[in-house]
This record gives sequence, C-alpha cells and structure tokens, in this order.
Amino acid sequence: MSWFIGIDIGSAYSKGVITKDFEPVASHVIISGANYRTSAEAIRTELIRQVNLSQDDITNTVATGAGADNVYFASQKASDIVCTARGINNAFPQARTVIDVASQSTKVIRLSGEGKVANFTVSEKCAGGSGRFIEVIANVLRINLSDFGPLSARSRTPITFSTGCAVFGESEAITRVSEGIPKEDIAAGVNKALASKISSLVKKIKLEEPCAICGGGALNIALVKTIEGELNTTLLVSPYPQIITALGAAITAATSATSE
Amino acid sequence: MYFAGVDIGSTMTKVMLIDKSDNLLSAIKGPTGPEHRQLANEVMRQALEQASLQIDDISYIVATGYGRLNVPFADRQITELSCHARGVSSLFPNARTAIDIGGQDTKCLKIDNGKLINFVMNDKCAAGTGRFLELTAAALGIELQDMGDISLKADKKIQISNLCTIFAQQEVVALLSHGEKLENILAGLHAALASRVAALARRLGIEPDLVLTGGVAKNTGMVKAMKESLDCELFVPEEPLLTGALGAAILAKETYMKAVAEGEALPTKSRRLEKATFFS
Repeated sequence: MSWFIGIDIGSAYSKGVITKDFEPVASHVIISGANYRTSAEAIRTELIRQVNLSQDDITNTVATGAGADNVYFASQKASDIVCTARGINNAFPQARTVIDVASQSTKVIRLSGEGKVANFTVSEKCAGGSGRFIEVIANVLRINLSDFGPLSARSRTPITFSTGCAVFGESEAITRVSEGIPKEDIAAGVNKALASKISSLVKKIKLEEPCAICGGGALNIALVKTIEGELNTTLLVSPYPQIITALGAAITAATSATSE
Repeated sequence: MYFAGVDIGSTMTKVMLIDKSDNLLSAIKGPTGPEHRQLANEVMRQALEQASLQIDDISYIVATGYGRLNVPFADRQITELSCHARGVSSLFPNARTAIDIGGQDTKCLKIDNGKLINFVMNDKCAAGTGRFLELTAAALGIELQDMGDISLKADKKIQISNLCTIFAQQEVVALLSHGEKLENILAGLHAALASRVAALARRLGIEPDLVLTGGVAKNTGMVKAMKESLDCELFVPEEPLLTGALGAAILAKETYMKAVAEGEALPTKSRRLEKATFFS
C-alpha cells in the first residue's frame, strides 16, 4: 500500500488529492493567490495532515494545471487534459465525454475506455466562454459564487445578453441592475449564455453519452441544468467536481510508480 | 442662423454649435453617465452659454450616437456612422476611410464625397475596442491618458498572448511582476489592439486618405501602433472625440438649408431644455 498526491494549480483555485494506491482519501482546495509555490506547499501540508502522514510517506507526487511548474516537489508534470480524463474515469468509469468548466478555460474531452483521451477541444481565448464570466457577474451582483446557482435556479425570465463578451456583459449587467431587473434573472442569463457556448463546444467534438461535468463550474447547479437542457442529456456530476483533475494527477502518480 | 449637433456616446456626450458658414461657436464634452437621458440638456446649456446664444437661436438640431433618442429637443436623429463620415470629410476632404475606436465599439467607415458608402464594426468583443486599453491600464494602475506617452519609451514590444481583455488584465500584471518594463508591456498592448483593428479595417478595404477618430485617437502610442500595423499614413483630427458631433451639426445645417432652398416647411421640436422623461 502506497500514498500518492496529485496537485492541480489553476489560475483561480489550487486543488490537491491524496490517494491510497488508486483510492482518493482526502482533498483540499484553496485560492491560488499570487504565489503558486506557497499554495502548492500549503496543499501538501494540509493533505498529509488530514491522513496523519509525513512527507516521507508519499511515494510519488504529480503536478498539473497552469501553475504546475511551481510544484517543485513533484516528480513529474502531467497534461491537465490527461489528468481530467483519468480523474473522471476514476469517478465515473462509464463516462465517454467530460466537460470541464474552469475559471480560465472550458475543455471538452471524449474518452475511450480506461480513461484514455480520444479527442478534445479547449476554449481558452474568451472569458465569456469560461467560468470567469460567472465570477465577473457575481461581483456585479455582489453575491457569493456559491449562491450563483441557487439564485439563478429561481429565475423564470432569464435576460438575454446582447454579446458573448464578459467585459460588455459586465456593463450590461450593471445597466440591468439599475433598471431594476431581479438579480436571479441576470444570473440565469449568464448561465444561459455560458451554457450555449459550452454546448457548441461539446457539439464540435460530438457528444457521446454518458457525459460528465467537472471543474468549479459544475458547482453551479443551474449551469449544469441549463447545459443538460441544451444538450438534451443527463450529466454525471461528482459531489467534488473541482478536484477531478487533481485526482487524475494522483492516479498518474500511482500509475507511474506502479509501472516502474 | 445657428445649428447644433449632439452626440451621446456610451461614455461621453458631445455638443457642437456652428453657424451657417460652418464656423465653430462652441464645443462641449461631458461624461454621459448612467443618466444620459437626463443630461443632454445640461451639456447643451453649457454649449449655448459658451457661444452666448439662446436655445431659440438654434435653427435646427441633430442628435446622434448611442443615446440619440434621448434628446427631446433634437429635431432629427441621424446614426453616428453617417455623422462621423460627414464630420471626418469636413475636416479631411480627401478622406476615404475612417477608423473610429471608441470605448464600446470600433467602426471602420468607407467614405465617398462626404457620404458613408460602407462600414464594418466590432461591438461584440471588448478586445478590439478602447475598452481593452481602459481595463488593462486600470490593471496596471496607470491613467488612461498617460498610456500612449509611456508606451513610446519602449525598447521592445512584449507579445500579449491573451486575446480576451479579462485574461490580458491578469497577464499584464503577471508580466509586470516578472520584471518586464511597463513601457514594453504597454507597447505590446497597443500593438495587440492595433492588429485587431487593422484586421477589421482590411475586411472593409483601406483606401487613402485614412483618418483615425474616437477617444483612442488621442493616444499617441495607439496612433503609432496603427501606423505600423496598417503601414500607411494616418490623419488624426485635433479633437478626435468631436467628429460625430461636428458631422451632426453640419448635417443639421444641410438639412435646414435644403428645406429652405426648396421652400419646404421643416418640423422642429419644442426648444424647451427639459430633462427627458421615459416617454419622450
């Protein structure tokens, strides 16, 4: 029996998972902040504290995500696409497509058996197509990110944004607030706009069911429902969607240690 | 006989008063603000004061811009595209192409004999408009009006890899913290915006003379970057924010003179400078 750590340093959040062989036993999520190196250390410290181990008990650590280079104690770096695929395969072995809605990008990955990547597409050019759009509008509405989904779910008449741009969307949301439009209709409008962009991304590489969703965006229950409506499918949602890619990194750590 | 052009843009409201020989009597700029419905009268009042005129002295008023329907005392509304074209060609009679980079959109106009014959515009993505510079300047903690001059000191251009304004905001802060020089980052930002605007303009086809207007034309770094991107001579009016209002004033005069020459009665609106209401 061995212990493995996967660390995923994203632009907004840093995530870590510790596994006992291939089984996840603990996880930790923090805001990435300005110093990714410190964030990576903080995650490792917290993970081994949770399972009462010391650093020397960890057989292997793999880093992934935009800030993977800062995880100086990792033995290797892995692609986030591969890690997301492996993580989702661990959580939902039956999944054939996965949508990862992150702060800076949205990825859609088609999976073959055993969590291998068959095809993928990434939208990373535009904040209007990523979770960042939600962060920007949540800030305008002065609500917590965690309240965005439940609030939006109450809307019966979502607004329609005139452009897909998050910058112009921010101005538009401010105008709507000043016109007295209820917050839930604005929030639901954001989910509608984002869901439509995400759905076209999925259609680009063709949906194969069952489809899972992960990343911080999957915590937004109204977004998940809206995407389900657009794609006419039921999505597999992990109770811990943010840590799927970190889990995949830990599995990569375990796999490469086992094969050596 | 006096004529007025009122241009209500997304960020600035501009008013110009001219006489029948196109002499400029006053030019006023004020922030549009969230209550633009109610502010046109205020800016108009200031313009009249500057010219020592009364509102009843104005024979004809044209309103233009995004808020043109919120000018209750205007006799006629004309799109900002036509007004820009007219304003640009009155300042530069040989102008055939005009690029207007504003805070909310970018327009490229093809002009023939003072008339608009074709246009392309970007109002879908902030990355191709003045907003890109506005937000990245804010992220870098510098004033928008200083951006251009600082960028001229650059010894190289840093490539900005993100297209999206929001991601670029993050990128420039990271570049600064990695020790890149502010002026080099700014030169990169200007080059990035210029290349996107140039791509838009090429879709329309660029014919000389080319004129650059809009608030961004006041940015020296952007004028330089546009010249480099387009590889051609660029004319910039002294007051690049005012070409729309100027065009509106000239079109007001032309509409009025034509009606007079043809002996037609021209309906005008009430000259009371009241706040606009929701129903006006």
